[in-house]
Amino acid sequence: MADLTEARIADYIAGRLEGASEVEVTALRRITGGASRETYRLRLSYLDAKGERIERPLIIRRDPPASLIDTERDIEFAAYRAFHGSAVPVPEMLWLERSDALDRPFFIAEEITGFESSPTALLSPPFADKAEKLGERKWTILGEISRADPHALGLDQVMEVPAPDACWKRELGYWEGEIDKDQIEPQPIIRAAIRWLRANPPPPAQKISVVHGDYRTGNFLYDREGDIHGILDWEMAHLGDPLEDLGWGLNRIWCWGGDDRRGGLLPREQAIAIWERASGLKADPAALHWWELFNCVKGQGIWVSSAKAWMDGENRDPILIFSAWRMLNAQDRAALELMGKL
Amino acid sequence: MTPDTRSIVTDLAARMGMQFAPDLKSPYLAGSAGLTAAVLMMVAQEGDRTAHRLVEENRAIRAILKQAPDVAAPADLAARLKTLAAGEDADLHISALQAANNALRDALTGLHAHVEGQTSAAAKSLEAAIWSELAASTGRRAFSNMGF
Repeated sequence: MADLTEARIADYIAGRLEGASEVEVTALRRITGGASRETYRLRLSYLDAKGERIERPLIIRRDPPASLIDTERDIEFAAYRAFHGSAVPVPEMLWLERSDALDRPFFIAEEITGFESSPTALLSPPFADKAEKLGERKWTILGEISRADPHALGLDQVMEVPAPDACWKRELGYWEGEIDKDQIEPQPIIRAAIRWLRANPPPPAQKISVVHGDYRTGNFLYDREGDIHGILDWEMAHLGDPLEDLGWGLNRIWCWGGDDRRGGLLPREQAIAIWERASGLKADPAALHWWELFNCVKGQGIWVSSAKAWMDGENRDPILIFSAWRMLNAQDRAALELMGKL
Repeated sequence: MTPDTRSIVTDLAARMGMQFAPDLKSPYLAGSAGLTAAVLMMVAQEGDRTAHRLVEENRAIRAILKQAPDVAAPADLAARLKTLAAGEDADLHISALQAANNALRDALTGLHAHVEGQTSAAAKSLEAAIWSELAASTGRRAFSNMGF
């Protein structure tokens, strides 16, 4: 298998830019954070049909040999495209390629440059005093995602549309299956959570929404003024109960600062109030509790699969073993806390 | 020489994270080196305590399984619990302790499912003991400076 090189990428892009010449790719660098896909940064330069020099920073997201989650790149690509230009800031998607032109399927997108994404950078200057403003933006944007009409966005054409009373069963079944398939050690705490969730199902979804699937601090680009410029990592996007996304963002494992602020930004109740205002939806406390506990199962499904991929040698990227080892126990503690047993 | 593996690994992790990683030109390699340093820090903590926490936990679970006859489990589960409760950790290799721990936690899961929802005093007492042990198990596995 040939290396991923600037020349190979330039050849690929040249075939897709009508009337372009002198297509050149430089500054190709793999970057961290792509646990679900290999992520590369590059700079594209070409002359357009009018002879004008165009320069663009781009991102390539390529399927890895194995990853944290088995996802559909087509769906991720469609979700980004659906929200581009809306109140939900996302980078522009350019090309989706399912062939082996670059050895494995990939897509190419605009890079939104000059912003921070690290959740731990929020803990110190110059970002620490912008946590409240960032929290307001974060849960407002999630409200916009929840409020959006999947049909109007065309996403019901590429994503399965569940019945409102079937969302919980589909999601719980999927993630329980992932744990069954990949667990290396028994998971007595999460098994107890699964039994409770099955015995106490939530009410039907109040609407079928776009669910980002991994909406948390660390998956958006922010600046020093407390504004958000890009919502990233849509690889687990699907249609379902909007409370699923809210519950994931409230998960205690994302309390990076060591205190109770959710996502390291805002108290739980404040985050919920912002989401309700922006989405026009209600977060029924009992239903939200169900989805928060469900998200502990989902989280454990991700960490268990990550550990398995690393242990089996399918993918030895250190992000897999670091996140799995660190998060498995934190996720158990989060589940115990929600069940009143910690 | 008996090497102090915790000190050795901690020092290597610090060098990897604070000296080597910042000088790497590739952002991916620098990030990977930083993550590797973080994993090594966890290895240093875990290496020193693994045998202790497994022996402690196996002992605690066996004590719970010994109470199983009080709650009339199905015959196959009862037989399994009885066998496991009578075990002991003669082999102190971590791989052997972990294998025993896996069998014990799997059986604990089965016992937990069995007593849930039962109303007898014995069942309620056993369920409370199981929850208490599960909470303690997360304390044994926790890492310092890791947020929640």
